[in-house]
Amino acid sequence: MSDMVPDRLKIGYPKLEKFQNPNVITTTADFVFSWARSNSVFPFTYGLACCAIEMLSSGFARFDVARYGMEVFRPTPRQCDLMIVAGTLNEKMAPVLKRLYDQMAEPKWVVSMGACATSGGPFYDGYNVVNGVDKVVPVDVYIPGCPPRPEALFQGLLELQGKIRQHSFAPVLPGAPEDAGS
Amino acid sequence: MTLEIGTVDLTMDEIAGRLAAAFPVELSAVSVQEPDTVVAHLERTRLKDVARRLKELPQLAYETLNWIAGVDLGAQLESVYHVYSWRTNTYLELHVTVPRAKAELDTVTDVWPAADWHEREAWDMMGIRYLGHPDLRRILLKDDFVGHPLRKDYVDLAENHPHA
Repeated sequence: MSDMVPDRLKIGYPKLEKFQNPNVITTTADFVFSWARSNSVFPFTYGLACCAIEMLSSGFARFDVARYGMEVFRPTPRQCDLMIVAGTLNEKMAPVLKRLYDQMAEPKWVVSMGACATSGGPFYDGYNVVNGVDKVVPVDVYIPGCPPRPEALFQGLLELQGKIRQHSFAPVLPGAPEDAGS
Repeated sequence: MTLEIGTVDLTMDEIAGRLAAAFPVELSAVSVQEPDTVVAHLERTRLKDVARRLKELPQLAYETLNWIAGVDLGAQLESVYHVYSWRTNTYLELHVTVPRAKAELDTVTDVWPAADWHEREAWDMMGIRYLGHPDLRRILLKDDFVGHPLRKDYVDLAENHPHA
C-alpha cells in the first residue's frame, strides 16, 4: 500500500529512538499544524444518494477511514471542516447545500464524490439536476466512479490531506504576493 | 376504531360483481387483472361521491388509499387511485381520465386523508389540479419551478436550472 502513495503525499516522521532522551525538536509551525489538521479532519455527512452508502461503509470496520483520522462524521456543519458531497444534487437542494457550506467554520474543504456530484452523472439531462456541485460551492477534490468504492474515496481523501498540508498559517501581508509563505 | 382484517371471504369475481352492481353507471370496464386487484374506470364527475361510498361499502369498505398515480395518455391525463380493502385483503384500481386542456379533478382528501401528499405530487409532476385540496403546492420540486416535468410534452427550460 505504501508504494501506491505518491511521494508528495508522504510525510516523514522522526525515528522513535531519538525520543529516548529529553530532546528538542526544531520544525516549522506550518508543518506541525498542517500535519495535525490533515489528520483530524471532521467530515460532514452530506449523503444525497447511493454514494452515501459507500461513504458510510468507509467509516465502518471493514474499510475504516479512522486510519486517516477522519472517523468522526458529524451531522452538523458547525463541527465540520470537510464536506463530502456524496450523491445527486438537485436544484431544490442546491440552496440548502450552499447554506450549510456557509455555516461551516473556516478553513473548510469540499470533496465531490462520484459522477453525480461531479457533473450530474447519469442524470445530466434531468429536469431538476444540478450538473456538478462546483456550480454551487468550490470543490477541492473530485472522485470519479458510480459510486466510487471506499478505496477510491480514500485516494481522494489522501489527495486532500496533501492539499491541507500545503496550507500556510502565515498571515498574508498587504502588498505581498498571494502565494507568499506557501 | 379497529380494523377488521380478512373477515370477509369473497372471490375476486364476486368482488368485481358487487362493485359493478353497486356502481352500475359510475364504474365501467370492471375486471380482475391481478390475483388481488380489481381494475375499473370511473366517470370523473362522480369521483368524490364514489370515493365516499366506496369507503362505506358494506363488507368491502375500501378504507385505505395506497397511492395516486398520474399517467399521460396524450389527449388525456389519467389519475389512478389505488385503494385497499382490509376486510377482503384486496386492491381496487380506479382509473379516472381528464382532458389535457382542462386537467381538473375533485380532491379526495376529505375521504382519504392520505391523498393529501399524493395529489400534491400528481399536481407537481403531471399538472392535474385537484379542486378543493386544502394546500395544493408543489411537493418535490421547488416552488418556482416552471411546468410539469412528467408530461410527455415537457421540454427542459433554462429557468429551471438557475445553477447551470
